[in-house]
Amino acid sequence: MRALRGLRVYLLLAGAAFRAEFQYRGNLFINIIGGLFYQGVGLAFIWAVLDRFGQVGGWGLPEIAFLYGLRLTAHGLWLLPGHQLVHVDEVVIEGEYDRYLVRPVSPLVQLLTRRVRLSSLGDLAGGVVLLSIASASAPVDWTPGAVGFLLLAVLGGALVEGALQLAASALVFRMKKVSPIKFAIDMIFSDFGNYPLKIFGSAAGFGLTFVFPLAFVAYLPATVLLDREDELAVPAWLGWGAPAVGVLLMYAAYRFWERQTRHYESSGH
Amino acid sequence: MKAHLACARMEFRVALTYRTSYLSSFVMMLLQIYLLTVVWSAFYDGRDEVDGVSLSTMTAYATLSTLQYTLVSPWRSSPIDQRVREGKVAVDLLRPIGFPGQMLAGQLGWASAAVPVLLVALPFALLIGAGQAPASTAAAVAYPLALIGALLVNQLLGLLLGMVSFWTLEVSGALMAYRFVAQFFSGALVPLWFMPGPVRAAAEWLPFQATAYTPAALYLGQVEGYGMAAALAVQGAWIVALGALAAFVWSRARHRVMSQGG
Repeated sequence: MRALRGLRVYLLLAGAAFRAEFQYRGNLFINIIGGLFYQGVGLAFIWAVLDRFGQVGGWGLPEIAFLYGLRLTAHGLWLLPGHQLVHVDEVVIEGEYDRYLVRPVSPLVQLLTRRVRLSSLGDLAGGVVLLSIASASAPVDWTPGAVGFLLLAVLGGALVEGALQLAASALVFRMKKVSPIKFAIDMIFSDFGNYPLKIFGSAAGFGLTFVFPLAFVAYLPATVLLDREDELAVPAWLGWGAPAVGVLLMYAAYRFWERQTRHYESSGH
Repeated sequence: MKAHLACARMEFRVALTYRTSYLSSFVMMLLQIYLLTVVWSAFYDGRDEVDGVSLSTMTAYATLSTLQYTLVSPWRSSPIDQRVREGKVAVDLLRPIGFPGQMLAGQLGWASAAVPVLLVALPFALLIGAGQAPASTAAAVAYPLALIGALLVNQLLGLLLGMVSFWTLEVSGALMAYRFVAQFFSGALVPLWFMPGPVRAAAEWLPFQATAYTPAALYLGQVEGYGMAAALAVQGAWIVALGALAAFVWSRARHRVMSQGG
């Protein structure tokens, strides 16, 4: 019952934020284009070099495009509801968080719905288009089960990225300024996530799986779908279980956030 | 000149005030160097040479171009759009020195705040990526010239772009799109010699290659002999052309200045 009410309030507030943002349509369009270019430059790099080199770590352009599309769709899916965490520093430092505490809605929900960045739609649309095109040319046997797993994997990937960003945001209550940490996390997801993990070698590969769970966003699910389990240093069931890892990490991150909020000190407004 | 120096010093201090973003740019630069080094090694896949370019030259190119890029193309390409939006442009126009000169000097000061970061980062960058001595004496002489040329071409492009905000106030989305097109065609990620034919042809006709590819390629000896003089001449031609264009655009823009709430 409480969760249901929370969801209803969230949708109500998010809807209001959407309507506010739609007032500036020209700017919205340009920002979406800007977001697409930001994600596109990485793809342009891989495309240009693969045109000459043919493969990287045994993955050709169709496979890499599939991995890229999966990663980007998950990123867009997380960014659409989660973008406002970018502003957590100013919300806490400037005392906006005080206002959240006196309203009868979860502060996290209020933070997430303070505005929406519709440019995230650009990331999501770009990811979906790329993933659709790449899915057609990648060597995957598209049984209903495989399609279902792909959808779960996108959702799981969004949860993994979201969990890390939420956990890093939670540190704001002690550290006051966490945006540099979050930029670095975002960069690792956006730049390192587009390559088959095995090119980083076994030590970095272990780190990017079990310390910084990048592998669960796209590489592990893509590897099992592409039937390339042989190159994995971890058992294949970990790949099939990637969506569950996303759920677990998000749950842990949420609990962490809740605990850290107790350390909030008002800036005295 | 003294007044311009003051503008530069002011913006240098502003950039240094934001220490955490400063620190994170340092970490991200090293991550980028690490990523590019690993990725190029994977592309080479055990081969020593591809198209006459050795892997060590390629990783040195990636290291050098990433370091250069931090200095030459900081994420803020011009202070103009912000000053127009906040109405500060009115104060700038009252100062007894030309507006474009002030903005150029300010931006150069702002960009030079990267120098201390680069000095600290250099040993780490060489450790993570790869370093090489200049390919020849000629390369050692030409490199600083090309680097200054790269800086000027990029400053003029930033100035031109910033002046667009006299016509349209909100330019952040367009600036972002521009930034990534410029980054790709500058050769900072893929050197021109590995670009597919038509892309390379486009890159050669655009000014962006003068901002990253030219100095790095000269330094590593990938452009030699007459090619060096030609590359420097192309840079010079872009500086003249963009400078003239900026002067023309400014002569139009100054009549459009509208001060908001300043």
